[in-house]
Amino acid sequence: MNKFAQLGADIVKLWTKYGASYLSGIENTLILALVGTVIGCVIGFVCGVLNTIPTSPNDHPLKRFFLGLVRVIIRLYVEIFRGTPMVLQAVFLYYGLPYFSNNSVKFSSVWAAAIVVVSINTGAYMAESVRGGIISVDPGQTEGAKAIGMTHVQTMTSVILPQALRNIMPQIGNNFIINVKDTSVMFIIGFPDFFSAHRAAVGASYLYFPSATVEMIGYLTMTLLASFLLRWMEKKMDGSSSYELVQTDQLTMTAGTYSYPDSHSPFDERNPEAVKSMQREKLRRQIEQDTAVREGQRIDQRRESRGSKHGGEN
Amino acid sequence: MNECILRINHLSKTFGTNRVLRDIDFTVDAGDVISIIGASGSGKSTLLRCINLLETPTSGEILYHGRNVLTRGTNAPAYRAHVGMVFQSFNLFNNMTVLENCMAGQVKVLKRDREQARAHAMEYLEKVGMAPYINARPRQISGGQKQRVAIARAMAMDPEVLLFDEPTSALDPEMVGEVLSVMKALAESGMTMLVVTHEMAFARDVSRRVVYMNNGVICEQGTPDQIFNHPTRLETVDFLSRFRKS
Repeated sequence: MNKFAQLGADIVKLWTKYGASYLSGIENTLILALVGTVIGCVIGFVCGVLNTIPTSPNDHPLKRFFLGLVRVIIRLYVEIFRGTPMVLQAVFLYYGLPYFSNNSVKFSSVWAAAIVVVSINTGAYMAESVRGGIISVDPGQTEGAKAIGMTHVQTMTSVILPQALRNIMPQIGNNFIINVKDTSVMFIIGFPDFFSAHRAAVGASYLYFPSATVEMIGYLTMTLLASFLLRWMEKKMDGSSSYELVQTDQLTMTAGTYSYPDSHSPFDERNPEAVKSMQREKLRRQIEQDTAVREGQRIDQRRESRGSKHGGEN
Repeated sequence: MNECILRINHLSKTFGTNRVLRDIDFTVDAGDVISIIGASGSGKSTLLRCINLLETPTSGEILYHGRNVLTRGTNAPAYRAHVGMVFQSFNLFNNMTVLENCMAGQVKVLKRDREQARAHAMEYLEKVGMAPYINARPRQISGGQKQRVAIARAMAMDPEVLLFDEPTSALDPEMVGEVLSVMKALAESGMTMLVVTHEMAFARDVSRRVVYMNNGVICEQGTPDQIFNHPTRLETVDFLSRFRKS
């Protein structure tokens, strides 16, 4: 218990001193992850779409050659950027470009470098996800679109990609959450993200574990919020689960409004409830009648007996 | 004699070593209602898919108003806009509502403005009795309703010919009737139709010409009366007797 109290006190101490730098770190991390994921998705979609352009033997040979070349380039891009650590890609781009070009080509800001690295890294992963998303859409959708005369581009933009996007939403969410966490490696090029706030804080205070606790809680909060938001977005994309009937058709308007001549009679065979209640009603009436008859008979009897009495007296 | 819309000459299609279509010749005139019958695997669907260029025939020609559409310069999407197709599995766009399904082609392909497309789509949706469901998504309606929407979608493009690829084969028996009655009404309105079907009653009562296919060739064709009551080929007799038994 003691230790927890100590931890709490240390965290409060850290927060009062470095709270602002933690918060700006969170802001930078979120912006970088979001921008990187969005641009990465755009790259992924472009690669995925280029990768799935159909070729037929009837196409012009130049077109087929060009598409083949594009596929090879995308393949190389995906394999290289998916197969190397992002931290090294950052170093290669940020320090490698000035090294080879004698400082003539370099990133003007660490932000630009970080966004480029995160984007192309995400793009490499997304390219395959988008390709999978496009393949997973039922081929019948493509045929339906082609049969009404849509070109490949029209089919893609209005039928296939909207469905593919929905299918890969969980993948996009995955990538965003991974980016929130993995942008922590950008400290290597001096990017001021959430993790670099930790490095700055412990460098001055030596409170390693309390600061790491702050980081843990911070990252977990960000990712939990992100996955909550993504779930909500997916629901939103699915649209309403119900729909409204639009009654413009005169024929369908009459459905249910026709009154059957037999309605609510014992001959009404559509409605067992009505039949039952009619039968019950009939039975009740019969019992009433019977009792009335019996009552009448009793009165008659009484009258008779009284009459005989009278007769007897007379 | 009505104008000839499609003429198919010596059409063949092979998948690998499997010769699915062999030297098919036939014509579709304006106002024709043609039923294509035959056993499964006899090439009926492949023939229809070749006509719509969803499959590329191996050899032969398809003349649309006298112009061969199998040459390299053909604008396949523009041709397909004139030749509608209704599929066995409906193939409605899952990301759109019923109304959007019927508008998409008109807006994107025919470049009609949205209001005009909407009015035109509603006209056909009313004809197939699906007007109340315009806001529903394909996953929310029944198979028969989907197929009726698919017919309205194809009709909204004002095609010259409508191809039906076993339109009732994926439906529950109780839903077959609603689709067939829509197709019957279409046939009576003078629409040119080419129907691959296993519904013999439809072939006999609605179509004006029946084509019997067997093993990738047209075995026999003629009026429903000729095919059903006076078949001349042994294969046709066999096929029809199998149907009568079941």
